Amino acid sequence: MKAKDLMITLQESLKPDNTLKEAAVILRTARRDEDRTGVKGLPVLDPDGRMIGFLSIGDMLKAVFPSYMSLMNLGDFTWDGMVEDMARKSGNKKVSEMMTRDVITVDEDAPLMECVDHMIRNNVKRLPVIGKDGRVLGILYERDIFFAITKAMLDENSRGGK
Amino acid sequence: MTHEVAASTQPFVMDTAFWTATTIFLLAYAVIVSEKIHKTIVAIFGGGLMLVLKILEQHEAFHLEEFGIDWNVIFLLISMMVIINLMRPTGVFEYIAVKSAKLGKGEPFRILVIFSLVTAVLSALLDNVTTVLLIVPVTILIADALEVDPLPYLISCAIASNIGGTATLIGDPPNIMIASKAQLDFMDFVYHLTPVVVVLMIIYIFVIKLIWGKKLVTRDELKQRIMGMNEKEAIKDPVMLKKSLAVLAMVLTGFVFHGVLHFQPATVALFGAGLLLLLSKTHEPHHILAEVEWPTIFFFIGLFIIIGGVVKVGLIKWMSIKVLDITQGNLFATSMVVMWFSAFASAFIDNIPYVATMNPLIVDMARQLWPDLSGVQLLQHADLMPLWWSLALGACLGGNGTAIGASANVIVVGMSEKAGRRISFGKFMLYGMPVMILTVAVSTVYVWLRYYILKI
Repeated sequence: MKAKDLMITLQESLKPDNTLKEAAVILRTARRDEDRTGVKGLPVLDPDGRMIGFLSIGDMLKAVFPSYMSLMNLGDFTWDGMVEDMARKSGNKKVSEMMTRDVITVDEDAPLMECVDHMIRNNVKRLPVIGKDGRVLGILYERDIFFAITKAMLDENSRGGK
Repeated sequence: MTHEVAASTQPFVMDTAFWTATTIFLLAYAVIVSEKIHKTIVAIFGGGLMLVLKILEQHEAFHLEEFGIDWNVIFLLISMMVIINLMRPTGVFEYIAVKSAKLGKGEPFRILVIFSLVTAVLSALLDNVTTVLLIVPVTILIADALEVDPLPYLISCAIASNIGGTATLIGDPPNIMIASKAQLDFMDFVYHLTPVVVVLMIIYIFVIKLIWGKKLVTRDELKQRIMGMNEKEAIKDPVMLKKSLAVLAMVLTGFVFHGVLHFQPATVALFGAGLLLLLSKTHEPHHILAEVEWPTIFFFIGLFIIIGGVVKVGLIKWMSIKVLDITQGNLFATSMVVMWFSAFASAFIDNIPYVATMNPLIVDMARQLWPDLSGVQLLQHADLMPLWWSLALGACLGGNGTAIGASANVIVVGMSEKAGRRISFGKFMLYGMPVMILTVAVSTVYVWLRYYILKI
């Protein structure tokens, strides 16, 4: 099986000029398969449809996390409502400010083990799949690889049982 | 007298070596000021050139006090950095900062005053960059909690660290360098500089009262955010905290008595660093040592070699003759020129290379004034001492003038920008330059009164 066989076809994407507020709405209502259950991350495409970054909910967490807190151990000295305050202040930041620019991707024909290799090595849970024309075709999720793995395990068991 | 001066200023040869060394020196400083290439790289390359072109022999650069690397400065800096790196994870600095905010009872202006004082005291005991790195994150957090503008806290942190750092031998790199060159000990600085710094801090508090006293207001429920913080939660490693406080106390005591005990400050600090490493029971000193600011250390090493080169060929001596010509040997005039020139020079260029150049210049000046003296008698001649103090006051306080005047300012401005509160060059200068002029003016009165009128 290859990357393109397991990926979820891309239906939504973000623009670099979207505000985080807009991005949040898109992420929450994006389609996964048929349901509008929301996704945990989307590619950011330029006007030509080329991927220039990826915005995940992890990046949204980083958007509300003040830079000074990473310099010292200050988690014990925060207060109730701080995240909400910071979120209100961060709503108008641009997607391009917070997106991950170095995105780990795979080619559509990449074998699954290559995808697993990328996920483990780079500690990511989703991989944009790039088509022959350089555009994003879809996203390959860790969960779907897991389904492929379990399917193979069960097949193996039934074969072994014969 | 005239005859003696003439004898000690025999013309030196402005030969190829003289011009080569001068060119390397001027080019290196020009590139450092332009910031086109990282200053550490410029210093290492310039130092390397001095050696490879045989302006300075390697032996002279590595082993001679007169031309070479000042290892006392290098090891004092490295050792203090190691001690602080070992202390940081204990949470003691978070504790101090949160405790200070609570002492201010959540009142924004009181907190500003307390933070300024704490920053000044910490800067006197640690280097300024370390201090602002430890204080600024908490000040922004507190400003966020109180929903007040963080700008006063940020600017005040930089300014207070530069003033406080002036107070002691270890407070600011110019003082470390001056102490080593003039063989001054820790208590000399406490006796001569700490009093004026205390006065300067008191004046500074009045100044911030005038500027920000009425502007910083918050609501009562926001004060509760501060009062609800438990500073004890900051302490992550109480055992290591006790060990590091004990070692730090020992090192500071060692500094106080190093003159009497005939130890160099670097000896005291290096022993403290070694002891604390041992007590920390770490099996991996790699990351503690890796966190030493090697770019700063190598900046010093390269600079010392470059300066060694121009001292050897006589450029610095030539400059010192020119300065004495201008002031006509009047030492009061000379120290005033040194103080004010140092202040404005340090406001715009790094005070480390500046002091590295001024140190040998003052020594050469002394040689021309008292050609028969040598050693401590020459370096600490009663008439020369005000010059050292003027250099220290000018170079340290001058750092407040602009956003690039001191490393602490650069760090504060950088952190503010990341926190979304940009401080422009002009904005910093609006506060920094008047404070610089005021503090240097007070220092001028101090030097004049203490060393030329009261003569104590």
